[in-house]
Amino acid sequence: MMNRANPITSTKPSRASLWWNTWLARRLPPSKQVTLAHKSIFILPTGFGLLWAGLILLLFILGTNYQNNLIIGLSFLLASLFNTCIIYSYKNLAGLSLSSSSSPQAYAGETLVFPVKVSSKQAQFEVLLSYPDNQVNVIKVIKQESQVSLLQFNNLTRGRIFPRRLKIESRYPLGLCRAWSHIDLDNQVIVFANPIESQSELSALETDDISHTLNRGVHVQGVDEFKGLRQHIPGESLKQVAWKQLAQGRGMLSKEFQQPQGQPLWLTLDNLSSADIEERISQLTWSIDKLSERGHIFGLVIGQHKISPSDGESHRLLCQQSIALLPFRGQR
Amino acid sequence: MKPSQQEIISRHSLLWLLIINVVILLPLYDKLTPWTMAICGICLVWRYGIFMGKVAKPPRFLVTSLALASALTLALVTSKIGLLNGLINLLILGYSLKYIEMIDRRDVRIVVIVGYILIAITLLGQQSIYFSILLIFIATINTCVLVSLYREDVKLNETARIGVSLIIQSLPLAALLFLVFPRLPPLWMMPQLKTAQTGLSDEVSFGEIGRLTRSTALAFRVKFDGTPPMNHQLYWRALVLEDYDGQTWTRHESIKTLESNNLASSSMPSATGPWLNYSVIAEKSNQHWLFALDVAFSDTLDIIQLPDYRLYSTKSLTQTFQYNVKSFTSVPMDLSLTDNVRNINLRLPEQSNPRTHQLAESFATRYPNPVKRLNAMMSYFTEQAYFYTLSPPPVGPQQIDDFLLENKAGFCVHYASALTFMARASGIPARMVTGYQGGEWNKRAQYLSIYQYMAHAWVEVWLEGRGWIRLDPTSMIAPERILEGFDAYFQGRNSYFIDSPFSALRLRDYPLLNELRLTLASIDFYWSVWVLGFDSSKQEQVLHQLLGTITKQKLAFFMLTSLSLIILVIAYSAGLLHFTRDKDKVSSAYLRVCRLLHKKGVSRRLDQGPLDFCLKVETQLPVIAEDFSQLTQYYIALKYRTLTASGRKSTTKLFIRLSRKLKLKIIKL
Repeated sequence: MMNRANPITSTKPSRASLWWNTWLARRLPPSKQVTLAHKSIFILPTGFGLLWAGLILLLFILGTNYQNNLIIGLSFLLASLFNTCIIYSYKNLAGLSLSSSSSPQAYAGETLVFPVKVSSKQAQFEVLLSYPDNQVNVIKVIKQESQVSLLQFNNLTRGRIFPRRLKIESRYPLGLCRAWSHIDLDNQVIVFANPIESQSELSALETDDISHTLNRGVHVQGVDEFKGLRQHIPGESLKQVAWKQLAQGRGMLSKEFQQPQGQPLWLTLDNLSSADIEERISQLTWSIDKLSERGHIFGLVIGQHKISPSDGESHRLLCQQSIALLPFRGQR
Repeated sequence: MKPSQQEIISRHSLLWLLIINVVILLPLYDKLTPWTMAICGICLVWRYGIFMGKVAKPPRFLVTSLALASALTLALVTSKIGLLNGLINLLILGYSLKYIEMIDRRDVRIVVIVGYILIAITLLGQQSIYFSILLIFIATINTCVLVSLYREDVKLNETARIGVSLIIQSLPLAALLFLVFPRLPPLWMMPQLKTAQTGLSDEVSFGEIGRLTRSTALAFRVKFDGTPPMNHQLYWRALVLEDYDGQTWTRHESIKTLESNNLASSSMPSATGPWLNYSVIAEKSNQHWLFALDVAFSDTLDIIQLPDYRLYSTKSLTQTFQYNVKSFTSVPMDLSLTDNVRNINLRLPEQSNPRTHQLAESFATRYPNPVKRLNAMMSYFTEQAYFYTLSPPPVGPQQIDDFLLENKAGFCVHYASALTFMARASGIPARMVTGYQGGEWNKRAQYLSIYQYMAHAWVEVWLEGRGWIRLDPTSMIAPERILEGFDAYFQGRNSYFIDSPFSALRLRDYPLLNELRLTLASIDFYWSVWVLGFDSSKQEQVLHQLLGTITKQKLAFFMLTSLSLIILVIAYSAGLLHFTRDKDKVSSAYLRVCRLLHKKGVSRRLDQGPLDFCLKVETQLPVIAEDFSQLTQYYIALKYRTLTASGRKSTTKLFIRLSRKLKLKIIKL
């Protein structure tokens, strides 16, 4: 279920780009942490660099036609400057370390954010980071202390999203050469489906009473069941303070208890009314968020797969991820 | 990628652009028309206003109308100032106008590219070593503009540091390319700069050369193979003037036709006899005539030899020009004379200078032998009370009569005119030759400098069986002028310093400063010969000295080795090749002390901390106890405490010093 193609511009890749991608994959395999070196840095002249070459030629011809050694010398100096710039361009990327960290959750249609940590032993200037067809991040100076650049990635579909290779680019110092690299930071994010509001689509599998679904599965603040820990609010009863955790140095926390009320709620795809399965998935996504927000206990049934009723953030994430990863129609 | 936030020019770049605009346009001041200058000034002030935040970007219509106005004015004046000058002005105007309307980085790059072209154009007119260094400096500033696009948040001097190091690191490869890259002949004709002509003019009237004797400008320099001739043999022929209309001496039409059609031969004839080989480095004069001694030939490209044995360049000397000459000092010129040439050189205007005519005829009757007659005429100048002056009294319409019989005071042109006139009037073919006489010897670099004030005029007469013979009537009046040079006869302050109060030649009066002047002149001479005059033959000469016999393989090997060396050096200085990181100075110094102690029998266990070890040392070697405990304290401070940057620095210094002292002590134990 690898969805590596960019959903926005998923045109059929040409033969050349296919070859290029496999070559890149072999040369620069995916890795969480990459340090750029001669193997991963490519250098080519920019458009300005080509114009510069034209200038060198022009000056050389001018100098030759006027038999003026100084103008010829100037053209050689500019040519040599180009050569120096190649070395500087290389230096401006060599030793640059990039590493990925986990991305914040997102829904389909939202711009994804991939945090990338960059650092370099030697100062490097004006490095451009971007995913293809996405906004470019400019880092003015990269030093030994690592900094995080939040890279944007436009995405429309749900599911496990792998951004394509990250492009790292620099034109420092004169803009004559473009040193660049395409690296795969092996980062991914599970994008939840786009939530669509639906009031009546919740279903209860194991009860007969459908009309009260919304009132069931609700927790009441209580004393029976341990729900979890939360930040202690000054003035609260000291009985609820989690002393054990305090002793562990985790700070002042309060234990929360609750009482389950009524039967748990079951969410399922099959009972939703919409004809389009993607729309039903979206509606389910909305329902999960809504129920979690209200603190309901609910379970999820997708085909043979069943997630037993629970609540809380991790439960919500589990449910959302399982729906998000449902195969697309005809992709089984 | 659309121009986003980062494409907008930063204030830092704007400041650099202000600087570059001024430094690029200043050296071009002499090529600007007043209109161009005015528009450039407006643009600069406007840009400054934008920089200071006083005015907004100019409206589109203003830029367009300025551009149209300037193009129109240029179209009108181009015929007056010449095509190339017109194009240069157009480029400068484009540069200035682009300068006020630029918005993003792309515009800045265009401005920088045009800036380099303008620097090249400046080099067309100015080529001295000092000027070239200045232009490399300007090119560096132009490079800094590009750097400033990528380093916005730093100070001016940081950008400058990067720009300067980029240029310095690029110089070796540029020099290598200059050395080995083949020199090509001009690929096509280019329009020439139209500027004022300097030096000798193509016609001579009374007072003509007198003006030149006030100029301290360099005319040309000469390097001889072997010893140079004596001063009195240095008659540098430039022009032969055969037509006289009673006022001015000019070249004959037939010679002018030959010159303009480049019809004369350029081949080396089979002359025999002793010869001189030398190369002449002529300063730019925007004229065609060259300078050589006696019967001269040249194998340099674009030089032809005229029937009057002068060398002539088919291109005007718009820049310093170097050529080789072979001069035959004892080969006669024109042993036979055609009737046409004889007539030209006997012709005199009718009713001109009747009294001189009479005098000449009396010489003719008294001395039928032409040689004796000429001797008598020459002696006439010494027998009578003639004297040499650079400010002669005015003459009337019969100028030679007035000079020869009334004023009896004048300089070379007066004497040469009079002698030529008398010779012709008495039936001897004669012509006036102008050029330069003498030269200043530079001991250091072994070459002659010929200045404009050494301009001179003399006479050539034709004698049966001997051809054209040089006669210099001035030598009869002022022999020192010829034997020892111009400076022996005239004090500079009386002639050539009048118009050039700041000339370096003034330093001649002070021995030490004169030494300095000669040294600087030598440097400029080497610059002219080895850089400005570096051609394929010089290239071959240098490569031969470097590599021995030149083969393609050797050349390729030489190129590759130098290239990789240069790249290594650049990479190293750019900070790329520091494979091993700086070791921890503190630890290694401490460990060295421990190793020495180990040799003395006090060894440190691997798990032993510095304090613990210090106690052990104190008990076992009480002699160094105090020092070692101090060292341990420094070590612990440096290793485990957070110190301020300056505190760390000073403690490290103390620590290293103490460790050295301690090592000596331990060794002595």
